[in-house]
Amino acid sequence: MNKNMVEELKKVCGDIIDDVEAIIAYRKKATEPREVLTVIESKEEIDSITLSPLSFNNPAKLLCQELNKRNGKIAVVAKGCDSRAIRQLVIEEKIDRERVYIIGISCPGVVDYRKFVKKVKFKLSEIESVELLDGKVVITAGSEKQEIPFDEVIFENCLYCSQPTPIEYDVLLGEPLEGRSDFSDIEEIEKLPLEDRWKFWSEEFKKCIRCHACRSVCPLCYCTECLVDPTNLAVSPMTPAEEKASYPRMLGKTISVEDNLFYHLVRVLHHAGRCAECGECERACPMGLPLRKLERKLQKVVVEVFGYKPGEEIPFLSKLDILPEGR
Amino acid sequence: MGDKKFDPKIVTFACNWCSYAGADLAGTSRLQYPPNIRIIRVMCSGMVNPALVLYAFKKGADGVVIAGCHPGDCHYNVGNYYAKKRVILLKELLNFVGFEDERLKLLWASASEGKKFAEEMTDFVDKIKELGPQEKLAEKR
Repeated sequence: MNKNMVEELKKVCGDIIDDVEAIIAYRKKATEPREVLTVIESKEEIDSITLSPLSFNNPAKLLCQELNKRNGKIAVVAKGCDSRAIRQLVIEEKIDRERVYIIGISCPGVVDYRKFVKKVKFKLSEIESVELLDGKVVITAGSEKQEIPFDEVIFENCLYCSQPTPIEYDVLLGEPLEGRSDFSDIEEIEKLPLEDRWKFWSEEFKKCIRCHACRSVCPLCYCTECLVDPTNLAVSPMTPAEEKASYPRMLGKTISVEDNLFYHLVRVLHHAGRCAECGECERACPMGLPLRKLERKLQKVVVEVFGYKPGEEIPFLSKLDILPEGR
Repeated sequence: MGDKKFDPKIVTFACNWCSYAGADLAGTSRLQYPPNIRIIRVMCSGMVNPALVLYAFKKGADGVVIAGCHPGDCHYNVGNYYAKKRVILLKELLNFVGFEDERLKLLWASASEGKKFAEEMTDFVDKIKELGPQEKLAEKR
């Protein structure tokens, strides 16, 4: 993810802008080095496209929204995890693959912005560019440069990325990379005694403020009606008290450990065998909960018990021949 | 107060076609099983959303049993296969967060297995009595 790659990306975007209605890409924020997703519709805007280890957001959700708004084709810049999310949404018929042009990016991992902000010595508004060169994050601000080893600021989820190269693309930028697929972090927690695990998780879930940001950013949480807030049963000032009392409410409104755990367990269970492993939930969490650990645990069960292979078209739940014996 | 016996509350989701009839048979054939069990009739074990199980725990159940037809006997062909997969996932997840997964049990009981139903329930109640009250997921208020 260096300057050459950005030039290459701009060239690709310039070539296809006439064939597509819009391009979803990253653009640097004005006052921060962080990059945000943007929808590009004209040739002039292409110059603002950037790509760096700070291009961490998953465009799959925005892609869904844009596809619903428009009729034409949309190009999207996708890293390994983004392409997995798009693939899953194609399988679930939320995205028409014919209408999407995927510009695949071979991604060596992204930066954890919280760690990055702590390490960086410049003012955030002064930073001009961030690059990844030979395992080092090179930050340029004016004439000065700062180098941070990539290992110190890498987003934890990216360490366990199984497919850094997109599984589906129309054009690929960068060399294909090898992924890794082990569950060493999960096994470490599994080794702890039961009570210690409970202590660990209840401490973590005490922090949760139930802002539902993890649900809002997840590309696969697209249900119009979520279990945790029945939207069709909205309460208005005219609703009589006895009617309100009779509404089904699975989940309390407190932020006690029980309610938080309830919410997170149900949320994670809905992602069994579907999770794109992009880590958006963890990134969006204002309290820094290790939400990916729950998802990865489930992924581990799905892979080891049900023999599911990531990217499979048939959901493991609907396969009858994989009922494990002796359980 | 100290010697007050622990009386577990156990919620059983029994499928309409097999297990509920099985429980009924246990009753009509006058088999004894502990009165701690509250049976909720559902149309199929496949409709038991994991959220319902968690909800039961949240409301203070000490154990939850999901009872369905034997594999292959489901009235809706595959409902119990779904149930089994869901239960495996939920158990693994509950165990992972440090909750005793023995408190959740999946039971296959056909309509003619009143005896088996009564026996399994007796065993389960004994096990829950050993584990003690469930306080981890129960709401505290």
